[in-house]
Formats: sequence, C-alpha cells, structure tokens
Amino acid sequence: MAEAVDPSQVSGVPKRLGRRPSPRIAQLKRTWYFLRRNTLAMVGLGILVVIGAVALYAAVFLPNISWVQMPVMCATDYGPDNPLSGWSNSSTGANGPFTLAYTCTNVPYVCTYEVVPPPNAAQFCGGQWYKTPYSAQSFVSYPSAIGPTINLATLKGGPMPLGSLTLSAESSTSFYNIWPALLRGSDWSLIMSVSIVGIGATVGLFVGVVAGYYGGVIDDALMRLVDIFLSIPIILFIIVLIAVLSVTVRSVAIPPFTLAGWHYAGYTIVPELWTPLFTAILGFAAVWWPLYARLVRAQVLTVREQKYIEAAKASGARNGRILFKHIIPNSVYPVFIQFSLDVGTVPLLIGALVYLGFSQALLPTEYFPEWGTLAAWSVYDMQTFVLSCSLGLCVIPWWQLFFPGLAVFLFAVSVNLLSDGLRDALDPRLRR
Amino acid sequence: MRMLVYVIRRLALIVPVVIGVMTIVFVLINALPVYYQLVAAYGNPNPHDPCSYNPTCPCGEIYPGEKGTCPNPVYVRLTHLLGLDRPVYERYFVYIYHAFTFQWGTVANVSAVQASYSFARDQPVTKFLGEMLPSTIELAALSLIIILAIAIPLGNLGAVNRNRPIDQASRIVSFSGYAIPPFLLGSFVLMGVYYLLYSHVGFDVHTPWCPSGEVLYAFNGQSELTGSWPAAGCYSGQLSIATNCPTWLSNCLVSHPTGFPTYDAFYHGQYWLGLDTLIRLILPALVVAYGSIAILLRFVRNSMLEVMNLDYIRTARAKGVPESRVISKHAGRNSMNVTVTVLGLTFAGFLGGFPIIEDVFYLNGVGRALVLAAQPGGFDFGVIFGSTILFTYLIVSANLIVDVLYAYLDPRVRLG
Repeated sequence: MAEAVDPSQVSGVPKRLGRRPSPRIAQLKRTWYFLRRNTLAMVGLGILVVIGAVALYAAVFLPNISWVQMPVMCATDYGPDNPLSGWSNSSTGANGPFTLAYTCTNVPYVCTYEVVPPPNAAQFCGGQWYKTPYSAQSFVSYPSAIGPTINLATLKGGPMPLGSLTLSAESSTSFYNIWPALLRGSDWSLIMSVSIVGIGATVGLFVGVVAGYYGGVIDDALMRLVDIFLSIPIILFIIVLIAVLSVTVRSVAIPPFTLAGWHYAGYTIVPELWTPLFTAILGFAAVWWPLYARLVRAQVLTVREQKYIEAAKASGARNGRILFKHIIPNSVYPVFIQFSLDVGTVPLLIGALVYLGFSQALLPTEYFPEWGTLAAWSVYDMQTFVLSCSLGLCVIPWWQLFFPGLAVFLFAVSVNLLSDGLRDALDPRLRR
Repeated sequence: MRMLVYVIRRLALIVPVVIGVMTIVFVLINALPVYYQLVAAYGNPNPHDPCSYNPTCPCGEIYPGEKGTCPNPVYVRLTHLLGLDRPVYERYFVYIYHAFTFQWGTVANVSAVQASYSFARDQPVTKFLGEMLPSTIELAALSLIIILAIAIPLGNLGAVNRNRPIDQASRIVSFSGYAIPPFLLGSFVLMGVYYLLYSHVGFDVHTPWCPSGEVLYAFNGQSELTGSWPAAGCYSGQLSIATNCPTWLSNCLVSHPTGFPTYDAFYHGQYWLGLDTLIRLILPALVVAYGSIAILLRFVRNSMLEVMNLDYIRTARAKGVPESRVISKHAGRNSMNVTVTVLGLTFAGFLGGFPIIEDVFYLNGVGRALVLAAQPGGFDFGVIFGSTILFTYLIVSANLIVDVLYAYLDPRVRLG
C-alpha cells in the first residue's frame, strides 16, 4: 500500500524513520519519481534494459556464436515456387526465372542473357547460385540473398529467423546470418557507444569545469576553442581526422597499444587491430567534447555562486576539493541528459562511416561488428539489388534493411525518449 | 546604421572562428608526411620524373654523369614555396595566407575523385569545389524550406494540443527521424524508386523507353560526373567531349551562367530538365529534413508553450479575439524569435549529414567530393581540407544570416 504523498513535500518520497538521505540521493529519488510518471521515458528505459540484457546474454552465453557463414557452405534452393527460397520476381508476380550465362559489354552493365525455365533445385555456393545440371556456367553474377526462414533443411548454416545479408567484395562473397550477427553486435554496440561518448564527455566535463570555475582569460580561450570545434560538422571532422590519422598512425607506432593478443567473445584481437580501434575511439572522442564543455560551463557558472561554495571557501577548502566535492557533482546533470542522447547516435555515426567506406581504413569492423555496421552493410547489398533490378530481376531484400535498421532505430529511440524524460524530470519549468 | 554596426560586429566575431578552423587544418596538415603535403598542394608528382617528390635523388638524374645522391631541386623549390623549410610560425602565416586567398591546393590523381571527376585532374581545389558548391546550396535551401514548412505548423499544433495524441504523434515522428540512419532511409527510398521504375513501369532492358541506338544507363555502383538520383536514363554510349558527361544529364548544358543546375536549366529554356533536376533534389531534401526536424520542432513547441502562458494572450482571448487569430498573430509571431535562433543550429546539424546524403543520392556536391576524396587507398588531402574549410564557411555564413535576421526581427538585439 503506497503512502499518501505529502503535498508540501516537493520530492514526493515517503518519509522514512532514521537518517535523512543525503541531498544528492534525495534528488536522485526525486528525479526517479518524476521520471516514473513519464510513460514514454519508461518505454525507452524498458527497451534499453532489454537491449542490455540481450548484450549481457550474448557476451556470457554465446561467446562463440558463428554469424559469418563462409561461402563454402551451400544453400539449397527448393525451386522458385517454394516460398522458403526467399525468391520472388516482382515484375511478373510469379517467382522468377533464373538467368543463365549472360555476357556484358564494356558499356556499364548492358547485358544480354537468356532465360530458361528453372529446374527444381539450385544451390548457393561461394556466394553464387548454382544449378545442378549447369555447374560452373550457370550462375547469376550478383549475389542473391535468403529471406527469413526457420527451416533447418533449407540452409546448412542453420536457421535464419531474420534472413541473411551478403557482402560482395571483388572476388568473394561473405554470407552473414542476421540474427546471430545482431546478437554478436549488441554488446559491441553498447561498449563502443558508451566508451566513445564517455571519453568525450569526461574531457568536456573537465574543460567546462575549468572554464566555468576559473573564468577570465582561461574561460575566454577555452570557449573560443569550443566555438571553433563546434563550427565543423561532427561527421566531417571525424572523416578528416580519420583520414589524417590513418596515414600518420601507420608511420608512428604507438607503444602503449602494442599489447598482446586480447581474447574477447571468441575473437583474438591481435595487436594490429588495437591501433586502429583506439585511433577510431580517440578520433571520435576528440570531436565529442566541445558540446559537453559548453553545457558544463553554463552549469558551473550558476553553481559557483551558490552559498555552499562560499562556505567551503570560507572553511579553507582548496580549489581541488571544491571542484571535485562540490562543483562537479552539482553540475553533472546536464551531462547525463546529453550523454544519454549521444549514446544512441554512435551506432548511426559508425554506420555512416562504414557506409562511406571507412570500414577498412580504421574501424576493423570484421572484428567489431556492431549494429550500425550491419545496417551499413545491408545498404551495400541494396546497391546490388539495384543492379539486379537493372538486369531485370528485382529481388527486394527488405529483411536486410529492416532488421539491422530496427536494432539501430530502437536503440536510438529508446535513449532519446529516456533523455527527453530526464530533461522533463530535471527541469522544474517543464515538470508542472 | 545600427544594423550596419551590428553586422560588422558579428563579422568581427566570425573571423577568429574561421582562423581557428584553419589552424586546426594546419595542425592536421603538419601531422602528415611531407610527401602527402606536397601532393595536397601540387597534385601528384610527374610520373616521368624519377625523383618525384623525394628530398634526394641520384645525381645522375639531375647532372648526367655525376655519382652519389644530390638534393632534389624540385623538392627544394616546392617545400620552400610551402614554407616547409621555415620555422613553424612562419609556415603558419604562409598557410593562413593561402587559406584566405583560396589557394587550397590541387586535386591529386590518386583518389576516387580522379576516377569520378576526370576533368578535375590537376585543377585547383577551389575551382573543383566551386563547381560542386551550387548543388550543395540548392539542396540546403530546399531542405531548409521543407524543414520550416513542416516544423513550424507542427510545433504550433503540438503546443496548442499539448499532450494530446497529435502532440505525442508529432514528437514520436520527429524522434524517429532522428533515430533512423540517413543512409538507410535514403537507400530505402531509392530502392522504392527503383522498384517502381523497373518493376511496375516496365522499364528494363527488354522494353526500354530509350530511342533505338541508345541503351539504358543505370546506377552501377560506380560514380560518374553528374550522376544524380536516379542515375538512370538513355545513353548513346558516347560521352559529350566538351563536358565529359552523358548528354541526357542537366549539367551538359552549353553554359552555366550561375552553376546552379536547376536555375541554369530554366535559363536555357530546358524546362523539362529543370523540372527533372528539381524532382531529383526533392527526395534527398525530404530525407535531410526528416532527419533534422526534431530539434527545431521541439524548440518551436516549447517556445510556443511559453508564449501561450503569457498575460497578453489571456488578454487577447478575454477581449474576444478568435482563437485561430490568437495562435497565428499573437503567439505565433512572438515565438518566431526562438525559431530563428535555433535555425542556425539546425543548419549546422544537417549540413553535417550532406556527405552521406549526397553520396546516397549521387548528387555532386561538396559533401560527395569530400567522401570521394577520403576513400581509403587514395586520400586526396587537398580536397579533404578544402571541403572542410568550405563547410565551415557555409555554416558560419548561415549563422551570420540567422543572426542578422534575428536582429531584424527583434530590435532589442541590435540595440543592446
């Protein structure tokens, strides 16, 4: 039975016997009280908890889950009329004909090919469709994809509840099972998002505190620096930074990063992968601090005029103690809001970088698969779809865009809703 | 007069920001090996020069018959021109001078830029980016118009119907735009377009729309000069020699009085081409707008909420002014100030997304030039740094325009 809320008490937290909670704990409780009444924020928090649980589950129980299916595996297609095959030809409405032995001229993608009625079985080997009677000659040169299926007999690689994703390089095609890939990517998404934004926010926090607390010339100089950094779009800055670093870092070996191999989740992270990963994270962090610095400074400017700071000074506290005991704990709330907002955008940004072709340059995405990367890869395959379309055979791989996109979307939306709720809960004017 | 003083004051505040960005670029350039600095400034070395950009080379290459290694005179001259043989502070001033006088280096041969824009070989970066700029400005303007046309009415609607379903719906829609990766949304839209184009209209190799002798030219994963959404059309198999691009594209006009694709098409009386270019711009502009509408919408809604609680609104209602007029005239006009302020922020935000959007939709803007220049395997640092500075100029000038607009709307700002 909940106790009646005392209307005179702002917090609404029921009184308890014994020691009064410290003011900061009381504020936390108050925030939680207002947050709890915000349905959308609670929905966001719920989604986040589910994502976190999935990530924990994947990290603990599925360390060796295989999500890259090497092209040596063959997938049998039980004929074009079988819906399990994941084929559909949209132009005729019926399931489509297979194309055979076509030739292309040097004018881009002007191809002639003949269409023959399909036999009952086709095999997906080495990234290409083979039909039994024709073996090497009869292939479609674009990689096909397999839609969601739980039929174990269809694919030797195991069930594909969310379908597959194909990635074709010049000569070979990799074949990814989306469901285990999403599981595998969940913990990396969280780790990379939190660490990237965390480093940036920490740097920004300290810069903002120093600027706000000391004021004067230091404040002016740091804030002009922030202005400069904020006038370069974030993704552009990352691109430039990564381009420069990937040329420079290769010639300058960074000693601390030459660690021994590190084992995580079935992968051995070799030292060669460390440098690019750290460079990427540092590159991100380098562009992420200015906003936090500005936020924190604004907060510190009001906090430092408070009576308790004056009291602390009067009692002889040194600057360090005032900063760490009084200023930082009391000006950290806007950081939380912005932090929760930014964490959701990291997969989007990484996905954008991978889309733009930086996966090889700096982010070794083969080893650090995360949701943004998967979403970007799905778009790569979309371009193959367009090609297939221009060849007259449209197979829309909707699952490739939908499921990785949904993961990124849910993550970003949930932190957005949560941070919106936090903002409302912490801002008395919006609270009503 | 007051206005002029205000504008000059704002301009004076902008210059340090621009210099600061140039300083960052200077630091980054100096982190590069000298070879890359030389390539960024002067383009690729002469392929027939065995000494290339090396500091030294066999003496026999310079003084025939001599033995040993000699300093490379080309290297010495070029590094001197760049100031590399002088102390850092002198080099810094040389760089700032170059940056302000638009000497941003040369488009090198190494990168994907070379493959896509073969005309750009060894051209100054400024000229190359200058040709890309109008397309970016067109896209930005169209996106801004769409954002304003959606965010202001929707924000007002949300504020008037606070916490009702329409308010929640508009918030969720704008949030979702923020949370969908733009490359995913753009590709999804493109996929739909292609699907319609090829599957339902019957536009494929067998039943082409194209006249005989011409073939369908479709999106092929490669980039070509003026490819834009959807990169498909009839193609005679020959490129026009003058402009090096397929004849069905709008940039193949005889002349470009302004460089703005849409305007130039109409200027030449090519109404269909102009319309075509405009249609090609609308989808990317919609994707951009959808992605960055959330911030503006939130601010419009909140400022409208604040204004709606003020006394003069109650007065207006009390004296019997119709509600629609209260919202549009009394509250709406006064909540515009915040909108204008946030506009600069929004602009900087969505300009950052341009590299991706332009790459997805094959629009030849500065962002796509940057993306092509930054492809691993061949970094074109001249273009990379040039487009960084250009983007800064764009953002800073947009902020200036916003500030001036703000001062125009609110006398307290320019007088205070």
